[in-house]
Amino acid sequence: MTTVSDRSITRSPRTEARNDVVDDRVANGGYRIQELPTAPPQHRLVGRDGPRADATAKVTGKAVYGADIVRPGMLHAKVLRSPHAHARIVSIDISAARALTGVTAIVTQDEIAGLQCYGTMVKDQPVVATGVVRYVGDVVAGVAAVDERTALAALDLIRVEYEVLPAVFTVDEALADSAPVIHPDEPFGVIPKYGQGASASLRSEPNVSYEFRYSTGSSDVWDTCDHVFEDAFHFSRMNHMHLEPFVTVAEASADEIEVWTSTQAPFNLRKELSRVFGLPENRIRVHVPLIGGGFGAKNGPKADPVAIRLSQLSGGRAVRFCMTTEEVFLTVSQHAATLIVKSGVRADGTFIARRSTVLLNGGAYAEHSPAVAEKAGYRMPGAYRWQHIDSVCKVVTTNTVPAGAFRGFGGTQATWASERQVDLIADRLGLDPYELRVRNLKALGEEFVPGESGIDSDLVAGMRVVADAIGYHQRARTGNRGMGVSVGVKDGGGINKPAMARVKVTTRGDVLLNCALTEMGQGGHSAMAQLVAEVLRCDPARVAYARIDTDNTPFDQGTNASSGVAVMGQAVRTAAENLRDQVLDWAGAQLAVEPAGLALVDWHVHTPDGAVHDLFPMIMEVFGNTGFEFSADGFYKARNDRRAPLEAPCVFWEIGWAAAEVEVDPETGRITVLQLAVSGDAGKVINKIACRGQDEGAAVFGLGQALFEELRYGPDGELLNAEALLYRVPLAEDVPERFVSITQEQGHGAGPFGSKGMGEGGMLPVASAIAQAVADAVGAQITELPLSPQRVYEAIAAREAGVSR
Amino acid sequence: MSDPDTETSVAGAPAPRGALDISIEFSLNGEKQNCRIDSNAVLLDVLRENLGCRGVRGSCERGVCGACTVLVDDVPVASCSTFAFAVDGASVETVEGLAAADGTLSPQQRAFAECGGYQCGFCTSGMLMLTTGLLRREPRPDRGTIRDWISSNTCRCTGYEMIMESVERAAELTAAQDGDRV
Repeated sequence: MTTVSDRSITRSPRTEARNDVVDDRVANGGYRIQELPTAPPQHRLVGRDGPRADATAKVTGKAVYGADIVRPGMLHAKVLRSPHAHARIVSIDISAARALTGVTAIVTQDEIAGLQCYGTMVKDQPVVATGVVRYVGDVVAGVAAVDERTALAALDLIRVEYEVLPAVFTVDEALADSAPVIHPDEPFGVIPKYGQGASASLRSEPNVSYEFRYSTGSSDVWDTCDHVFEDAFHFSRMNHMHLEPFVTVAEASADEIEVWTSTQAPFNLRKELSRVFGLPENRIRVHVPLIGGGFGAKNGPKADPVAIRLSQLSGGRAVRFCMTTEEVFLTVSQHAATLIVKSGVRADGTFIARRSTVLLNGGAYAEHSPAVAEKAGYRMPGAYRWQHIDSVCKVVTTNTVPAGAFRGFGGTQATWASERQVDLIADRLGLDPYELRVRNLKALGEEFVPGESGIDSDLVAGMRVVADAIGYHQRARTGNRGMGVSVGVKDGGGINKPAMARVKVTTRGDVLLNCALTEMGQGGHSAMAQLVAEVLRCDPARVAYARIDTDNTPFDQGTNASSGVAVMGQAVRTAAENLRDQVLDWAGAQLAVEPAGLALVDWHVHTPDGAVHDLFPMIMEVFGNTGFEFSADGFYKARNDRRAPLEAPCVFWEIGWAAAEVEVDPETGRITVLQLAVSGDAGKVINKIACRGQDEGAAVFGLGQALFEELRYGPDGELLNAEALLYRVPLAEDVPERFVSITQEQGHGAGPFGSKGMGEGGMLPVASAIAQAVADAVGAQITELPLSPQRVYEAIAAREAGVSR
Repeated sequence: MSDPDTETSVAGAPAPRGALDISIEFSLNGEKQNCRIDSNAVLLDVLRENLGCRGVRGSCERGVCGACTVLVDDVPVASCSTFAFAVDGASVETVEGLAAADGTLSPQQRAFAECGGYQCGFCTSGMLMLTTGLLRREPRPDRGTIRDWISSNTCRCTGYEMIMESVERAAELTAAQDGDRV
């Protein structure tokens, strides 16, 4: 039942730039493409218009999210957080809090004996701080009470005595010889079995939790370079700012755990909880309602461990722990990064060799950092042809909020530095940045690196689409206006990722789809229901997405890496095909005809002679008065290949192209984005609305990072803007007047019908495209995000003063 | 596709506590409500916990993101930052009041569903109430007006274009519906 994806690109390329898809509303100052190259006529649903399956639930307010879950007798949890960035816990006195009426349980370091730490690959985060607090916001104690108000009152009664320790907040401070060691005891950690050229080490330096290295080609080629450029880039730290906070309702005893939680990855969570609480996985049940946004933050335990422990300590009563937005800011963030890139090129602009060092600010606990590090390091070459690559990425532990998975997953950091340096090189060599890219971009089908999948989009054609959309090649250099283009690539679909799905059909032909793709806004449930309806040739409204719980839902490795459509989609399609074949085999036997010539349409069997047989009476006749349910499974896993640097070749390449036009006010440094065009390659569109939403949402995410989003720390390590009022995310008024997204269908994806994943690619190239547009406008090459007015103003001033960067 | 998870019931209101409880009376989606509430209770909590309007979403609780937007006497307000006592005698409308009794979606709801003016859906109730308030005041708003109004609420998923198109479509559908009524 294993389906092995064929990574060699043998299909005829359909890569023509879709200039014809831009409709007249764009010309009229509008916003959108109109018609995508659509699915072949035999597809009734895939790629067609139509509302998403979750539309009615969401526009009526009836959609149930984690935040809506209520259980009988439910208690409420609140946590006490550290006011210090780094301190030893001298004592905790909970006696007064425990005496408060309505308090059922308190968890501190004394109540978690025997519980393990959690984290991806490096397990260093305890359920509550044990012995030491490591950042402002670290959880010191949790209280369960009859309501949130009582729990909050109890927190005020907990007395904690700290001995403050020296702290470090930046990667430079943390790597200094004099830096305090934030995790003196080596945490438990694992390193995956990397393939050729890749390796990693745990704790390579005292405050480095994980170090990833990748190298290919001979370093001798440096000698053939006419120029070698080395530049440093800085990447700011963002918050995910998903609107639904982290929330868990837990019912747990010493033997059994049941949670309703806003997680992107129910089976990963179950596995981690099994480790932390020392229970077999079959005694842990994870339910996942709809998710109010995640963007990577909802991978791994968040509110879960504290809620579970408090439920255990409260005699198994349900405990709900719903964080506030301020607490979400103190739980996980993106990685700030310092990226040093050294590139060797020929005088004509041909790229030869690139060496890069990426230092990720991983915060106080490893969280998802090791996985982000391998991707950030791996993606530093960009989509360009290099003869030699040498890449290092270190996760540096600091006394700040833990950093984890975030839309783009290391690719945003890598793209910022990689693409910015391409522009700097073009500037220095007097070459056109667009032409320099065209000269060096990998071709369709060319391996990214040895052992890796071929690039499955025509990168140059895609770049032309966004450039044409803003009139890049026709631009007149006037005033302080400028344009830039950028392209970002990331390996998509996850690594070594298995997915399973089950489709069952009732006697009447109503379909239940069972798979663990979580719906966090991306339209995944809709796309999966469309795939099933396409194969079974039924109305998608007849397909219900079964509620997700780990007891009943087939296994999946998690909704991340933009893998939903390409990876789970294959499992779902296979399940539907297996079900269809099973039904037709059965029907053929009943009708005494060869099943090969039969077709299943709307729960009727069509025979080659044109006769139509309703399945309902056939099933009733054979199986009795309740009828029968047909059921079939599907499975997908991309092929393994030990040569692949990251364990297995990627399923597909997720590409984002962007082109921007800006106007810069040299008096204030303020940037106005006049035009922004973004594009992703869906391979093959399954759901149009969802594809468009994914690209546009990602682009505006990138716009926020480019222009203003940044978490700022005070001198003592306290987050200064950790709330919605002070941390500003893009609003409708921030979207450029001319904002165009163009979903390409180049057709080379590994997913069903040639589809690829979406959702992260659109974020990758936005900041670098805008930065280049600024350089084009005023000559200031900025290497640090965000492009705040002050930073732009200073860069202009420095340039005018003739100061070399 | 069927409605999502409904197996876990939303429990009834917790009993009002303390000496500071007061009594208020207001109209909720056209129906009279009498509630005893804590004098410092915010409207968001009363709507969600006492009155079962769980379509009203709580997020930033700072009056910034707008996920909890409801209409009070036709004006969109952030229910997280409105004291419940302030709606005494007022008319409050939530997303639960938009569809007709038989489940027929309102023009705003149809427009958002049709144009994909949502992704995760957590901002959607607030965006719908904002749209309803806007269209009552200005039945045919131009793009700039829509942008100004929508800028009071945060959506992290969509990039806003599809929301703004949804509002334009809602205006069309509302005009058509009102035309039908004439």
